[in-house]
Amino acid sequence: MSLILENLPLFFIGLKSTLLLAAVTLAAATLIGVFFGTLGSLKPRWLRALVALYVETFRDIPLIVTIFAIFFGAPFLGMPLEPFPAVALGLSLWGGANAAEIVRGGIASVASGQAEAATALGLRLWQIYLLVLWPQALRAVLPAYTGLLALIIQSTSLGALVGVTEFLKAGGLVIERSTVMLGINPAFEIYSFVLLVYFLLCSILTTLSRRLERRLASSGQRPVAARDALQL
Amino acid sequence: MEFDLGYLLQQLPALRAGLLLTVEASGIAILLSLALGLLGASLRVLRVPVLSQAVAFYVEFIRNTPLLVQLFFVFFGLPVIGVTLSLFWSGVLALVLWAGAFQVENIRGGLLAVSPGLREAARALGLGRAQYLLLVGLPLAVRIGLPAMLNTGVSLIKNSAYLSAIGVQEFSGVAFDRIASDFRAFEMLAVLLVGYLAVVLSLSAGVRLLEHRLQAPFRR
Repeated sequence: MSLILENLPLFFIGLKSTLLLAAVTLAAATLIGVFFGTLGSLKPRWLRALVALYVETFRDIPLIVTIFAIFFGAPFLGMPLEPFPAVALGLSLWGGANAAEIVRGGIASVASGQAEAATALGLRLWQIYLLVLWPQALRAVLPAYTGLLALIIQSTSLGALVGVTEFLKAGGLVIERSTVMLGINPAFEIYSFVLLVYFLLCSILTTLSRRLERRLASSGQRPVAARDALQL
Repeated sequence: MEFDLGYLLQQLPALRAGLLLTVEASGIAILLSLALGLLGASLRVLRVPVLSQAVAFYVEFIRNTPLLVQLFFVFFGLPVIGVTLSLFWSGVLALVLWAGAFQVENIRGGLLAVSPGLREAARALGLGRAQYLLLVGLPLAVRIGLPAMLNTGVSLIKNSAYLSAIGVQEFSGVAFDRIASDFRAFEMLAVLLVGYLAVVLSLSAGVRLLEHRLQAPFRR
């Protein structure tokens, strides 16, 4: 316990990095998700196929492989990446695939009469999305999106493997330090603490996600099921 | 740097060994996680005091913590308190604990979806709660929950790549090792891409097909 308290500054640095990585990923994944999710909701078959190709690729390849491929593959393309941007890129591509699936589900959850009515009123396609579909989809995607954020926070731990000093790596450093300097191995204690912090952080989000889902369901709109849209 | 097919062919035996290890670890972990799921879901549905709450907490804990940290906890943390497992079994244990939590929920979802009339009928026929679960509830729950259970299995196979983080020489572990030692990234990354996509896509397609078949009696 004292070991954890003594190293709180290091843990704090790690936590900040974890949250920053999660925030960057969330922002990028949202941009990708809205773009691809919207494309996937349009009529043309080939567009849907294109979106499905992107979504399936990044959801079916293990995230650890995607991140390693970017980090270790980039130098071979002549543009080496620092650990943080490499991990952020990998997480964003994966998160974007999940976000696209959520956004597509959200747009599909808006009653079809809404888009038809908007068309009948003479709105252009971009107006239909901006004024009618997106605002209504926003409510439906919130629960799943909160769940996605919890998943993103969990996945940032992969940064530890390529040298980002995020929360898990901070724990690893504390263990290494105490082994070398004090001759003790606090791995059990430290990793328990690390698990606990992730648990607290993420369970707040998943609880919120469930509450939002219930509230939305009682208001009559069908939320995008986090279960179907998110894939670990 | 260009794509060298000769190099790739030369590495095939090592990759095949890695793939076999992936299949072995995933296969064992899927079976054990299903057993854990059946047990956990039964405890939850039978509302066994203390144990039911313990299972609920276990599920929440696993779902809200990163698999990578769970793996590190098992591999680096448990030996400190005297639980020392080999590399392979550490990896399998972490996968079982992770997937087990999802299987508990999959099977519990199936159990809750069994119509209450069947439970009442079992009661009327004189079956106890445990008998109902074993003879009526679980068989039906497995049928209802099978697609979700298999999807978790597919996720497990995919996530067995995490084992490379502690040095298990499974499929991705072999490939990453070769990238580091031979400086040939494209060939190995291409193999990983094709390998995982082929395995995951074909299994998911199988699950969808099965789901369709299972629903046949309920379709009009």
